[in-house]
Order: sequence, then C-alpha cells, then structure tokens
Amino acid sequence: MSSLLQPERRLVRDLGGESGDRMRSGNREADYILGGGFPTNSINIVMGHPGSGKTIFAEQLIFDNAAGDRPILYFTTLSEPLSKVVRYLQGFRFFDETKLGTEVIYEDVGDQLSKEGPAILIPVLKEAIRTLAPKIIVIDSFKAVHDLMPSDGDRRRLVYELTALLTAYGTTAFLLGEYTEDDILRYPEFAIADGIVEMSRRRLGNRDERYFRVYKLRGSKYLEGAHAFRITDAGLDMYPRLVSPSMPEGYEPPDERISTGIAGLDRMLEGGIWRGTTTLLAGPSGAGKTTIGLQFALEGARQGEPSLYMNFQENPSQLMRTIRSLGVDLEEAQAHGLQLVYASPVELQIDSIIVDMFRRIQQGKIRRVVIDALGDLASAATDQQRLHDYLYALVQHFAVSTITSILNFETTANSVSIQGVQNAMSYLSDNVLLLTVGGEETTRRTIRILKTRGSAHDLRIREVIITGAGVEIVE
Amino acid sequence: MLTDASACRVILVAERDRNVRDLQSFALESAGFVVAFVDDGEAAFAYATANAAALIVTEILIPKLDGLTLCRRLRAEPATRDVPVLVFSILAAATRAEEAGASAFLRKPFIESTFIATVSALTKVQDHVMAVVT
Repeated sequence: MSSLLQPERRLVRDLGGESGDRMRSGNREADYILGGGFPTNSINIVMGHPGSGKTIFAEQLIFDNAAGDRPILYFTTLSEPLSKVVRYLQGFRFFDETKLGTEVIYEDVGDQLSKEGPAILIPVLKEAIRTLAPKIIVIDSFKAVHDLMPSDGDRRRLVYELTALLTAYGTTAFLLGEYTEDDILRYPEFAIADGIVEMSRRRLGNRDERYFRVYKLRGSKYLEGAHAFRITDAGLDMYPRLVSPSMPEGYEPPDERISTGIAGLDRMLEGGIWRGTTTLLAGPSGAGKTTIGLQFALEGARQGEPSLYMNFQENPSQLMRTIRSLGVDLEEAQAHGLQLVYASPVELQIDSIIVDMFRRIQQGKIRRVVIDALGDLASAATDQQRLHDYLYALVQHFAVSTITSILNFETTANSVSIQGVQNAMSYLSDNVLLLTVGGEETTRRTIRILKTRGSAHDLRIREVIITGAGVEIVE
Repeated sequence: MLTDASACRVILVAERDRNVRDLQSFALESAGFVVAFVDDGEAAFAYATANAAALIVTEILIPKLDGLTLCRRLRAEPATRDVPVLVFSILAAATRAEEAGASAFLRKPFIESTFIATVSALTKVQDHVMAVVT
C-alpha cells in the first residue's frame, strides 16, 4: 500500500502564492513598474476617467496572455456596448482576430444587468467559471455595476460575494471603472482589491499628458509615482519614472582623466575632466556651447568611446552641417559610435525623452553624453520639481555607470550672475564652466571655470575663438 | 451506506467555504464522482470511519479537528489508514501535510483541471489497491 501511494506524495502543488508567480501586463515597462506584473489569482482595479486608456491597457493585457488551455473572459457591462469596444480594438497591433471566441471571449452582460439588476452578476460569473474556467476575468466597467446598486449595503454585499467567488476560484480579475481618487476611500471594492492602478490624463496646451500610477499592490514592491505614457497603435508606450540608483557598495569614482577634445580646455582642467563626472556648460546663445559639446562627443568617437549627442534645437540636417563645417568625417564618426539624436521638446514629455535617452545609452554602451540644452528639457517639463528630480536621477545614473557628460545650459545674457548659475544648476554637476559672448566692434568670447571637483583648475578668464577646427582657447 | 461499487467513487470533502464547495461539487460530479460534504474535522472522521470513500479532501482550516490532525487520525485508524487524503488548503503547508500523512497537497485557489487531475490520480491508485486487496 505505502509503496503504491508513495509516488503520489509528489502530487504537491502550490497554486496560490509563489513569490515569482506574476501575470504579465502585456507591456514590458508596466511590468517593470509593477515589480514583474500583477500577482496571479488576484483582484485588481484599473481606474481612470473616460478616455484615459483603461480599456486599451486591459485589452493589451488579455491578448498578451491569451494562450494555453484556459480562456480569458471579458465582460462588458453598461459602460460601452460590446460592438463599440471590439470595433476600436481592431485598430491596435496586439489585436489577434484568431484568438476571439476561443482564447479571448467577449460577453456583453449590459442587457441582463439592466433588466435583472446588478445581483445577476454573481450567478453569471459562476456559470462562466463552471463552463469556461477562465484564467482572467475582466469586468468593464465594474463602476457601472456599482452605480446600479441602490444602497451602500447592497454594494457591500455584492462586493463581498464577488470577492468570495473570485478568491475561491483560481483566476486573475480586473475590475475597470471610471473611479476618482476620492472613491478609493469610499467604495468597498477598493478595500478588497489586491492591486489598484490608475490611468490619468492632464491637458497641457494643445497636447495631453497621460500618467500611469500604482496605488496598491499587495505583497509586492512597485515603482511609486506617476509614470508617463502615450497611446500608439501598438498599445500603451510607457515611460517608467526615472529614480536615482543606489550607489554600489564600495563605489569609487574612476581615477582617470579624459580629453574634452579641446587641448586648451584640457590644460585649464589640469589634463581633462575626470571620467564619470558631469560638467555644466553655461552661457548665452552664440558663446560656443554646442561646438564644445560636439567636440567632446567627437573626441569620444575618435577614442573609440560610443558617444551620444542629444539635442533639442537643431534638427539632424542642421547638426550634420555644423559637424561637417568642423572638417569632421561624420560617417566615420558615426561608424565609431557617435549618435546624434534630435527630439522635439514641444511634442514630447520629459519622461519619454529621458527614457529614450536611457534606452540608447544601454543599447549603444554609451560612454559620453551631451545634452544640448537643459533649458529645452525644462520647457518640456510641466512640473519643475519633476524636472529637478529627473535631472538629479539622471546624473546619478551617469556617475554609477561612469558615463562622462556635458549638460549645456543657456543663460539669458552675459551679465549672468555666477552665483545664479551655481544656485540654479550646479547641484547637478561636478564641474561648472561659464562662457560669455560680447564686444562692441568685434565679438569676444570667454570661458571661465567656476568649479571643478578634485582639480586645482585654472582660475583665469580665458579668451575663446571659434575657427574652422572648432573652439580654441587663447593662451 | 453506499454499495461497494458506488463507494469507490465517493469523495468525502471537509470544506466550509460555500464557493469552494460549489466549484468542487460541480467539477467532481462532472467527472463522475459522488461528493459528500462535511463542515468540520470531527464529522469528516466520523463519516470516514462509518462509510467507504475513495478519497478524502480536506481544508486545514476547519473547525473542531483541523485538517492535519484529521489526516493523522485517519492514518492511525485501521479502517481509514489506506484511504488517500488530499489536503486542499489556503495555507502554504505542503510539508506539514506530507508529515501528517497526506497523499497529496494542493494550494488554493481552485483550478478545475489541476484539482480533477490530482483527484483522478489518487483515486486510480486507490482503485488499484482495492483490486489487489480483493
């Protein structure tokens, strides 16, 4: 007997709570924000105003998970008729018609709810569980069911019944709804939810900014804060908020100087700038910031260091012309790892710009970065605190990755206050260089080092000339 | 008392959660089993010692006699020591279930395919044992 039963002792399954047991959201960045995805066998609320992207988020999730022996069930209630939901769904690339009816099953219960009342939801769900055994259940919108309930007591009873059913049965549920932040404290469904995520939209001039936020995710770490996203034909394009990295244990800055690509400037800096540092290059328009930045990036390419030049003012054609005017073979520089990237700060959110920059840095193994200019990034940021947080996190990432960077910062006039520059931006940087441009009959440019970390730098104001070879320091 | 033939298909289930019961009942009956539900461990032990069952399924968190103690008592009782026991619980207690003498452990929630596959595997072994004994 025991020998016969012994093998069956291996029939040990833990279906409920393994820590790595996650359900993909269908969006890699959202999974990163969610610490790996939604916990399986959980009840989650996706909340947000109409048009905020809830339905697209849910649909991307279900089509990404539509495989295997258990289908996904998508109930539409009294928010949008099924025909409308499916019609717009077809415009997205993740939509797969071959999965409809087998792996993804849509069911419209709006008519039943309206005729028989909200209590019909529980028997409908029970029947669906018995007959279809769905691994994911979406109810869109659950808020519409909630609104049909005549009293708080009825709402509580329905939520209790729903929770008991969905907890007994192994499924991951998503309740979508046009909830507001205030509803979180008022409505019983939020108390029982294992996960709550919000999609929001903020109007900004002629464009909208959209954000994804996790309010709650039981038993899981997640990335707090508002994460920007856009809706594209591929679904949601999400940009996780940049946070400062933790400094690795035993981290020591590299003990190596690298050339700026300008011999005179290297001499002013006692042999170049320390690798892994950030340099703020401040000055008015026409002072030579872009040229110095380009020379720094081109020197990187010349040394075999992949270099990224992010600019927000000159389009790629303009920038290529500027580079060629320096006598540089652009194609050769690009072959050696120079990347020129133009982004329009008018059209994009700061989140998307920064995330795109990081993807390029990781994919291109970038060692030098120039951002031209910070002021343009500031104009893309609707929230100055968010801008400062981003820039601080950015330079911390550069330091940890020993990426050497130059951040151009346009000042409004020559009479710029040195203290003003230092107060405004120097918290970001290890080195601060100040350029001026002036003169009455002839243009005269100067450069001055306001601050360097770990160097006894040249304290004098030096004259700068721009020749066909670029910026030169008059010594 | 059930006949010997039908007793071979009786699954005794000690479970209090109404929703879990509904799901178990539907799945087991669809698979051709007869289901007998009890609310607590003492009732389960009393039923098992007085009636033949092909399998006993128990939650750990049940009143009067918890599922693991029930399992140990079933193993100590000559009339029930050969009846397979499936511990099906909300608790992550696979090791404790095995130590208590359970034949198998599944953690909730209920997933029909896994549950029925486990029940079928355990009852097939029991069928084989009965064939050898008789």
